[in-house]
Amino acid sequence: MSGEKIRLNTEWLCDCGGCHVALVDLHEKILNVLDSVTIQHCPVLTDIKDYPEADIGILTGSIRTEHDRHAAGEMRKKCKTIIAFGTCAVYGGLHGAGLAHSREEIVDRVYRHNPTTRTDTVPDSEVTELAKLVTPVDEVIDVDLYLPGCPPHAHFIFESLATLIEQRAPRVTQDTVCARCNRQMVKSEVNAIKKSLDGVPDDNICFLSQGYICLGSVTLDRCLAPCPNHGVACTGCAGPTMQILTEPNRDIRTEVSDRMSRLTAIDGETIKTHMERTAKTQYAYAMATKMIGNKPTFLIKKWIADVEAGAHG
Amino acid sequence: MGKVLNIQPVTRIEGHARIAVHLDDAGNVENAYMSLMSLRGFEKFIEGRPAEEVPRIVNRICGICPWMHHTAGNKAVDGCFGVTPTETGQKLRELLQVMAHINDKILHFFFLAAPDFVLGPDADYSVRNVIGVVKAAPELATQVVKMRQLGQMMIDRFAGKAIHPVAAVVGGFSKPLPEAERQAMLRDTRTLLDFSLYALDFAKNNVFSKYLGAINQLGVITTGFLGTVDPADGSLRLFDGRQRLMKADGSYVDFDGADYLDYLGEHVEPWGYGKMPYARSWNEGFSLDLDAPKGIYRANTLARINVCDKISTPHAQAALEEFRAAFGRPAQATLLYHYARLIELIYACERTMELLNWDGITDTDVRAKVEPKAGRGVGIVEAPRGTLIHDYHTDADGCIASANLIVGTTHNIGPMNMSVKQAATSLIKDGHYDQGILNKVEMAVRAYDP
Repeated sequence: MSGEKIRLNTEWLCDCGGCHVALVDLHEKILNVLDSVTIQHCPVLTDIKDYPEADIGILTGSIRTEHDRHAAGEMRKKCKTIIAFGTCAVYGGLHGAGLAHSREEIVDRVYRHNPTTRTDTVPDSEVTELAKLVTPVDEVIDVDLYLPGCPPHAHFIFESLATLIEQRAPRVTQDTVCARCNRQMVKSEVNAIKKSLDGVPDDNICFLSQGYICLGSVTLDRCLAPCPNHGVACTGCAGPTMQILTEPNRDIRTEVSDRMSRLTAIDGETIKTHMERTAKTQYAYAMATKMIGNKPTFLIKKWIADVEAGAHG
Repeated sequence: MGKVLNIQPVTRIEGHARIAVHLDDAGNVENAYMSLMSLRGFEKFIEGRPAEEVPRIVNRICGICPWMHHTAGNKAVDGCFGVTPTETGQKLRELLQVMAHINDKILHFFFLAAPDFVLGPDADYSVRNVIGVVKAAPELATQVVKMRQLGQMMIDRFAGKAIHPVAAVVGGFSKPLPEAERQAMLRDTRTLLDFSLYALDFAKNNVFSKYLGAINQLGVITTGFLGTVDPADGSLRLFDGRQRLMKADGSYVDFDGADYLDYLGEHVEPWGYGKMPYARSWNEGFSLDLDAPKGIYRANTLARINVCDKISTPHAQAALEEFRAAFGRPAQATLLYHYARLIELIYACERTMELLNWDGITDTDVRAKVEPKAGRGVGIVEAPRGTLIHDYHTDADGCIASANLIVGTTHNIGPMNMSVKQAATSLIKDGHYDQGILNKVEMAVRAYDP
């Protein structure tokens, strides 16, 4: 099919728009992409409001409303290959915290019990209702390819588009963020967990060795490790590794506590308990995926309830 | 029987919106709405999280302006913990926040809005986009892509992540700026400043003069304005300062951000998820009536250009003087948002140079010591789309007890509704409309860059 351009549709569901900016930020490479790709439905860039037939469909964001479900369905009907693009589409993303809070709690906080609104009105006409839970895209349609990342780094976006254009296998690895991190893991005598605001971390030594929780070792590299290489621990925004997703008794807190306890003098149980108490932060990006949510060991609602009971008791 | 024209999704904007135009039996506009279709609920999500983690979580409110949420969030947590960031740390935050303004304005004006002006509002919808601009004006388009790249890479190199940043931390910044990086940034910013001066000239010659008729008509409404100014001399500020709330007649009050609850309220309508801020302190309530709006003010570029007494940098000040001579103060025409955006682009480049030229910018004292505790903090920055307010309370463990967020775009939801209604009413008569007309209704929204 040389000479014929690949037809691309993109759609954003419930998201922040950052994944679409990341697409635009292929920069000069976007001009190369345009030589081989026709961009059709793409709400941030074009005025094509329906869904033309397409070879590739990129879906960003997760399913929050009936509108999102409908748009995902239309994209599936018209696109031969669907890519769940970005952590929200793949795992539900940060607003997967809809799992930890009911839609009633959210609406109540945003509109009713809010210092600036002072009203009892709640949006309920002309808007599509919130779904009970936030879900990843593949819970409502079949997905062909997954590209997590918040947003995915241009390196991976370009590789995935080039793969599809050139019809070859993608050259991507399943490395963790640690693979790209320049810090050294060392055995230390650190005996207490530090918060990210405690002191100034050493730039050359693994965060875990220094007593800071870092999710680099349990997070898939779709970012080239910018955070640990710029003084800040990984918070897992590209979502968990395949090992974490597929093995029923491993998850983020079991793996990090195991690794960190071997690198420091901190007891593994202490680390695990700490991560349960801060579960909303540690599981921030992937709690809405059933691959995490259905694990027998994952009890986030209980952990959050325990913390809240503690705070009020 | 009347009918409803749905424009969904509104395109070439940065969020999820729909326009509904209600026509009566004769085909004239009875009413028109623009509503936001999405709600996530960050005010709830961040409750209970350690406050120091929140500045990199709230980024995800907006992938277009994550640096704004990142810096406002950090300021709010500084306030909760009672910490004063080091001077260099604070200046590095401002440097990145102002740089992010540069990239945002290039993205909006050239990638999203320009197709309407370069190709024309009535151009075939299937080519009326940035790809059409690439074909129609390849040199301009290549230049724009390069400039956006230059801006984003400057941030990427130093701060690691341009979209969803992590580098600002409570108490300051995570790392100092190396001298070599400062020199590279200065060089790149000089290029961006040249481009921004060219961009304003290009727009004056090819856009604003050509579309003067549309500027004076499309989506024009009369409202007040909100922005941020330097407390000492009333000059334009993007990173900090006092908030200035101006009435349509040009009179204004200045207030401290922490007191925003005394000045602003948020109105909720059943037909959209977006809350609509209004000026509570005017004591006139809330109404979107085109002839007699109540409590309605606008934010974003035109508002900031209207409320400031001057701009502290020379090229932007010259552009402001020319703008004021032509359009007065406050200027009300909605399409002038684009003009004001390009003036701010110049200011953002000049301000970046000022910060890079400040002696202390490479100092290594970037981070103050921080102890978590109970408190309240209000962090405000001017985001590209308006005054961004993060108001947090923390508990004794330093976790978020409650949060109230007023996001830049929301200030303009009420005004956008008015502009949509004004545009639809003046353009759609006796049942006659076509895709060019409907696009012009969208242009009234696009000017606000929602």
